[in-house]
Amino acid sequence: MRGATSAKWVAGAVIVAMAATACSTGSNDAGGKGGSITVVLGEPQHRLIGQDTAESEGSEVMNAVFSGLVKYDIKTNEPKLDVAESIESTDSKTWTIKVKDGFTFHNGEKVDAQSFVRAWNWGANQENVAESMPFFAKIEGSEELAPGKDKKPTAKELKGLKVVDEKTFTVTLKEPFSQFKTMLGYNAFFPLPKAFESMDSKKFGEHPIGNGPFQMDGDWEHNKQIKVKRFDKYPAEGRAKLAGVTFKIYDNMDTAYNDLRADNIQIVDKLPISAMATVSQEFGDRYIYKPESAVGYIGLPLETNPEAFGKVEIRQAISMAIDRDTLTKTIFNGTRKPADDFISPIIPGYRKGALGEVGQYNPTKAKELFEKAGGVPGNKIELGYNADGGHKEWIEAVANQLKANLGIEVTAKPYAKFGDMLDDLGAAKYKGAFRMAWSMDYPAAENYLRPVFSKVAIEQGSNYGHYRNDEFEKVMAEADKATDAAEGLKLYQKADDIIIKDLPYIPVFTYMSSAAYSKSVKNVEVDAQGQMDLANVERN
Amino acid sequence: MGRYLIRRLIQAIPVLVGATFLIYLLTFAMPGADPIQLLAGEKKADPLVAAMLREKYHLDDPFLLQYWNYITGVFQGDLGETLTGRKVTDLIGDAFPYTVNLAIFSFVIEAVVGVAAGIMAALRRGKFLDQLVLISTLMVISIPVFVTGFVLQLTLGVQLKNSWGIELFSVSFNENDGLQAYLLPAWVLASTSLAYVARLTRTSLMETMRADYVRTATAKGLPRRRVVVNHALRNALIPIVTFLGADLGALMGGAVITERIFNIHGLGGLLAQSVYLKQGAVVVGGVTLLVLIYLVANLLVDLLYAVLDPRIRYA
Repeated sequence: MRGATSAKWVAGAVIVAMAATACSTGSNDAGGKGGSITVVLGEPQHRLIGQDTAESEGSEVMNAVFSGLVKYDIKTNEPKLDVAESIESTDSKTWTIKVKDGFTFHNGEKVDAQSFVRAWNWGANQENVAESMPFFAKIEGSEELAPGKDKKPTAKELKGLKVVDEKTFTVTLKEPFSQFKTMLGYNAFFPLPKAFESMDSKKFGEHPIGNGPFQMDGDWEHNKQIKVKRFDKYPAEGRAKLAGVTFKIYDNMDTAYNDLRADNIQIVDKLPISAMATVSQEFGDRYIYKPESAVGYIGLPLETNPEAFGKVEIRQAISMAIDRDTLTKTIFNGTRKPADDFISPIIPGYRKGALGEVGQYNPTKAKELFEKAGGVPGNKIELGYNADGGHKEWIEAVANQLKANLGIEVTAKPYAKFGDMLDDLGAAKYKGAFRMAWSMDYPAAENYLRPVFSKVAIEQGSNYGHYRNDEFEKVMAEADKATDAAEGLKLYQKADDIIIKDLPYIPVFTYMSSAAYSKSVKNVEVDAQGQMDLANVERN
Repeated sequence: MGRYLIRRLIQAIPVLVGATFLIYLLTFAMPGADPIQLLAGEKKADPLVAAMLREKYHLDDPFLLQYWNYITGVFQGDLGETLTGRKVTDLIGDAFPYTVNLAIFSFVIEAVVGVAAGIMAALRRGKFLDQLVLISTLMVISIPVFVTGFVLQLTLGVQLKNSWGIELFSVSFNENDGLQAYLLPAWVLASTSLAYVARLTRTSLMETMRADYVRTATAKGLPRRRVVVNHALRNALIPIVTFLGADLGALMGGAVITERIFNIHGLGGLLAQSVYLKQGAVVVGGVTLLVLIYLVANLLVDLLYAVLDPRIRYA
């Protein structure tokens, strides 16, 4: 009877399990009403330290737990003073920064000048291998802390940072940089408390002690959730309205969206593609749809394939042969907008229609230019893209448009991953055009130009076409030196004009961010990088 | 039997070592991107940061040296680190319990419900119940798991709550719900295997029911219940146990889709993500664990044969 007995036992276990099911009501409104909400998050990649978190998921938590010297206006994206009382410079090279009274870290320590100097010195030191290390390269003395591979740092502190008094410090840059103030809102420039010095950075990264409107509520529970609660000693202006926020970690945005529909979570700031068709009907004015910071391009390998793409007329012809309107409407269902400048529309300094004629769809002129310039060798172009990011459809559409309008053979070439394509581009193995996108680090026109088109960006940035232009470099340097913001902006626009004239990349569309929230919350806004402004959110 | 057991266990060692070597080689030889660039996402990894990371994780060493470092670490109980500095043992330790719970739950559903449905169908051959089992299992087998999963999630998780106010199943996995949280995902995960088990049981039992010894037992006047349970079913179970044993391993590894749909952060999702990000240490650690489970499950199946049919002996 052995078989029969064990079968009974198993059946018994199932009945118990079923009974357990029936009892539970399945309320998963963890923390529930009374001012707490749950929002979506992907598992952050890095330690939760400002200097080490550059990707979007970690930044979402960092923005709740930390406050920087400046933050960006949610509508205009202009920098506004946050922890800083003043940020001043007469020559754009030496900056004097004063910190406001009243900000404390969550462990009670005061936020002072030293908190920032400490954090930046740590971030700049190559031994700490912080993701945002390159951001400190602008500060004087950075090469002593980051001398390169196989070398030891010869200093522990950046020469360019000086603490004047408890509330004041000065920053000396290697070269003048008029956009320095704007840059300071980026995570890399968040402060660190004294307690950090005696802690293992890994441990700190699991439970950061910040100075923001929310403080950690327990450790980071990997792959499950990160809980934060309101920091009651935060200055009244800017104090969080919610008692707490749970960042629930999802791998799959479709599941998160279903949880939102059932009001199990309250905000989803990155909607899945499958939701796009019905979300506006279902959520009405609780669906946020606004321009975001990224620009999508067709990149051109100017250096590795000058025979095909060396002539500017060819590049202009390709640009004019792309029907951006149809592309964004039919392929993207309106979730992208046609690009008309290299600078994103949400950034101060963007000019509507800056691309001019080359940004307009004009197949006749395109064909004319193309033939006049002698076409491309073999009458063939390749269009590379990474197959892991939903680019197949639009790249194939562009290929078809080029084929039809220029009368050439165009093949779409998929790479498994974005990194594979970058490897081939870096090794000059790939000679075709390629898809590319750029999303800002901080909202400055400069950030749409230097990291993508400057000479230094060939080695250290995203200049995959290896575009070089001395005049562009000169104008950028002049713009950096400007001491008047408006004058600086004009010069950056002049640099933008040079890029538009040369057209090393072809801007195709700008991205839109889409988010939705449930009926139980209000005052939800997302910023230019598609991130939630959690301190303002309220529960109904 | 003791000697048999020891021999089988010793045989497992080269299998395990060979498996780690192969997996390590495959992850290493995987064409394409540099894992450091994958960490940086759509932006280019800074050359100095990348170089420092490569140095820290010995990524520039020759393959054999890397493998040697890894395997000596393993024998000291250290499964290595991810490229973002998390311990692989922690990662697997966090994920493993979910997958085990889910797999066991599915296994129980599949074994109990599958065998029961198979028995009912076999004993009522050609009747309504038999047709019902045949048709419903055919349907389950033909629909992909992710469709079943999403449809159930949407109807039971979202629509039931929104239109009827009934919250029986949550959309995504929630630990606080205890065992209930596993119920829906476990059904989804078990569904395909369950259908196979039911059909296998039906065929196998129908065949044994026609055997001479069963007819003898019936002729002797034994009650039908005893004939079916003690005489026919015991023999009919042998192929089913084989299937279930192999399936336990498959459930553990095949949980990727179900775990993704219901947001269970188990081994399946961890492995899929690590393969994508080329986190070799995690892939090797996780897959080795799965190999180990396969080996144990197979051993158990072999031992169970003797219990079901005493004529089977081990030497």
